[in-house]
Amino acid sequence: MLTSLEIKGAAAAVASSALLLAATFAAGAIYGDRQRLVRATGEPGASAAIATQGRGFFFQSCAHCHGQDADGGEDAPSLHKLQISGAHMTLVIQSGIKDEMPSFSKRYDGQETAAIVAYLKTLQ
Amino acid sequence: MIPWDKLHGAMTHFPIALLLFSTACDFGSVAFKRRPFARELRTVSFYGLFAAALASVGVVVSGVALTKGQLWGRGDLLWHHRFAWPAFGLVVALAVWRLVVRDAMSRTGWCLYLLLMAVGSGLVAAAGYFGGELLLGGG
Repeated sequence: MLTSLEIKGAAAAVASSALLLAATFAAGAIYGDRQRLVRATGEPGASAAIATQGRGFFFQSCAHCHGQDADGGEDAPSLHKLQISGAHMTLVIQSGIKDEMPSFSKRYDGQETAAIVAYLKTLQ
Repeated sequence: MIPWDKLHGAMTHFPIALLLFSTACDFGSVAFKRRPFARELRTVSFYGLFAAALASVGVVVSGVALTKGQLWGRGDLLWHHRFAWPAFGLVVALAVWRLVVRDAMSRTGWCLYLLLMAVGSGLVAAAGYFGGELLLGGG
């Protein structure tokens, strides 16, 4: 049988270990997101903020077809590892694809579309 | 710019060596329990485990920075993490438990502790193996 001190010790051990792992994973996830944005936009400051704004637009208009993680839905493909240029992405967002994807030219202007493209580049 | 690869590579040997040494001392104290140095072996294993837990925090920080926040990854990196995260949690938990209990361990507690130390050593060794594969195996 374990003594009461050992049981208290086990509770403290599990709590501290879980806390440290949770803190590591939370910090790692935040750092990872930040690094992905930096990689995509080339600089940690303003460009990362643009991609973050683009992520907001993505969740508003794209995520319900392409998925919250942009990994594809029933009727829309994954946007990870797209083999097309930023200009091509802009064209598709602005013009749409006949019978497949609506045009977003009335909803998002050039700068906002660029923000979405910046976000999509973080997924590559 | 901090060379995270070199830092992680250098730091990672400390918890591996300290934990394996600590486990060896614990089992040594069981094997030589009638010898006068058995108690000293347990004391050494306690400090070894505590140092391993402290060093593992630095290893985790440098590892997360090295992989740019990739907490799982793919291939050998994924296998490295599959062993490294449980090992990290277990080493910290064992160090905290030992810190609280010190030498006031029951027979059951001591047996459980030895079992978990063996598991932790296995996990750390496997994480180290896949870490080495990342560096030397071209994976």
